[in-house]
Amino acid sequence: MGRRVVIIGIATHWGAQLARRLERDPGIDYIAGIDSSAPPADLERTDFIEADIRSPLLSRLLPGTEADTIVHCGILWYAEAGKPERVLHDVNVIGTLQLLAACERTKTLERLVVRGSAAIYGCEGATPYFFTERMARTLPLRTRFQRDISELEAYIENFARRHSGVVCCTLRYQPEIGPDLDTPLVRYLQLPVVPTQLGWDPRLQLLHADDATGALEAATRSPVRGAVNVAPSGSISLSHILRLMRRPALPIPHPLFGPALERLGRQIGAGPLYGDGVRLLRFGRGVDNTRLTEEIGFAPRFDAEAAVRDFATMSRGRRIAPSIHPGDLVGRVVGAAR
Amino acid sequence: MSAHAQTESQATAESVADFLRRVRTGIEDGLDPVSAANRAADELPQRLGRAVELLSRRARGDYYEDEWGFDEEFAEAVHPLFEFLYDVWWRVEAEGVRNVPAHGRALLVSNHAGALFPFDASMILMSIMKQHPLPRWARFLVLDWAFVLPFISAFMRRVGGVPASKHNAARLLEQDELVMVFPEGAKGTGKQFTERYRLQRFGRGGFVEVALRTGSPIVPVAVVGSEEIYPKLADARPVARAIGAPFVPVTPTFPWLGPLGLIPLPSKWRIEFCDPIDLSGYGPDAAEDRRLLFDVSEQVRETVQSKLYENLVKRRAAFVSP
Repeated sequence: MGRRVVIIGIATHWGAQLARRLERDPGIDYIAGIDSSAPPADLERTDFIEADIRSPLLSRLLPGTEADTIVHCGILWYAEAGKPERVLHDVNVIGTLQLLAACERTKTLERLVVRGSAAIYGCEGATPYFFTERMARTLPLRTRFQRDISELEAYIENFARRHSGVVCCTLRYQPEIGPDLDTPLVRYLQLPVVPTQLGWDPRLQLLHADDATGALEAATRSPVRGAVNVAPSGSISLSHILRLMRRPALPIPHPLFGPALERLGRQIGAGPLYGDGVRLLRFGRGVDNTRLTEEIGFAPRFDAEAAVRDFATMSRGRRIAPSIHPGDLVGRVVGAAR
Repeated sequence: MSAHAQTESQATAESVADFLRRVRTGIEDGLDPVSAANRAADELPQRLGRAVELLSRRARGDYYEDEWGFDEEFAEAVHPLFEFLYDVWWRVEAEGVRNVPAHGRALLVSNHAGALFPFDASMILMSIMKQHPLPRWARFLVLDWAFVLPFISAFMRRVGGVPASKHNAARLLEQDELVMVFPEGAKGTGKQFTERYRLQRFGRGGFVEVALRTGSPIVPVAVVGSEEIYPKLADARPVARAIGAPFVPVTPTFPWLGPLGLIPLPSKWRIEFCDPIDLSGYGPDAAEDRRLLFDVSEQVRETVQSKLYENLVKRRAAFVSP
């Protein structure tokens, strides 16, 4: 008998991507998706169940699906249309609690995979450059999002302790990039002139969108107990990213950066970066992906630099005017001189 | 700066001036600025052409930085400045550089001084780069506080600095890197001038733990001369508390002369690399043994202290020695 998978948050980009991949697998008997809004139309054999993750209705719906695998893609990083910032805590923490309550009633459950965030480690100036899974909560929880993630991971750990028969796997994702992702960080990197924090050059790991989906799929197929970092190998600094993206940087003194970005964001549609972003763009963060590659058995295809290079080539096609970046200008002058 | 480097920078300056002159004649000939620049670029001498190419390659992001943010090209670019400090300003003499392994992991443990900017890491690195038969880059663990400062944190990272953390040190050693640590930390840099060359407590022996766990040899290093570059006469404690710094030194020149006070005094330096201490016989489990940690830590500390006294005698006068 094949597997029965339920994806929470099927209308999100990652939930839908995972469903698309799982639909192609004949070894999976049944796929269902739960969300408060409809999933993209191209899903073929995924049952859509309309329910809000925050409602107790979940506890009555979930056991009926007889799912053995539940994938939670409903954790939100950023405010979206219809889900402003103050709702995020409810969706992330209360939603996860409701889901866990529903999981308790689902007797067929064998695996629970949660798409969480590496924001739990926080962003500080002086830290280990590669956090391993055991280093969570060693630094102060500074932003709302970080506290939310820490809280919901604690609930999941608690659930895992009481249900030793269920394999609970929390994936700690670094921020993803991809030309068709609609996140503030992606929009930020695509600004014509990118504001940065004067004197700061954060070390980042941006995960290629294909690898993000691939890791989610691999973890759904063969989850391991506990937390797993999902990140590309290596790291890359923001200044290097902007050069590869051919985007001139506009350094702003860092106390003004948050407000400036928010104002600029509202005008050109970049949107405010929810809590974590400003600190991430000051201090950066790196995590160790050994557990992902060795225990889950998924090696990201793009390392930190290759992911940015690919993102840069994919989004360069959208440019309408020729680049005025100094790197290109000098190249053109030297080229013309030859 | 060496004579060679000087002539080279002069030559570069001349060719820039030459380029601008050619652009101007081009414009006077009735060309528009871009084609004038093109024509001038056509006539550029080789060396400037290469420099322009390098700069444009870097502006396009076609360079490599490793997973620690170390950028070798950048480190090479700032090399001449440190070379000047090494050769001319501080007349550094290095001894026993061959005790640094030419390949594989090793931990260099040194005393720490220089209240405003501790230059000892860069000078140890320079002596390896200049005098070792097989030069190699070394990474250094930097006081946490430096990594919450703008500019300094970004600069440190590019030239091989890493925030002082056991996890970072262990990971670097596992990658067979050469790592410098200064176990005295801020206690070493923040001590009064009257206490110069008196080693402070060596932390909690964390560096020995890392060396044991990764099976790395320890090379003790004694640096003489770093204490005199910014003689710390007093501590502006309220200021330090206000900005969250471990200390704010008052030296004969800082803050009285403003930015000029940041220029280090030209003392005479000596660096001695001692015989490596091989710990591989203990095995990684010995890292749990507190007593062993303190014993080895104390052994390293005594070696560095006695070498400091030896080199102080060899150096004679602090400033006037050639």
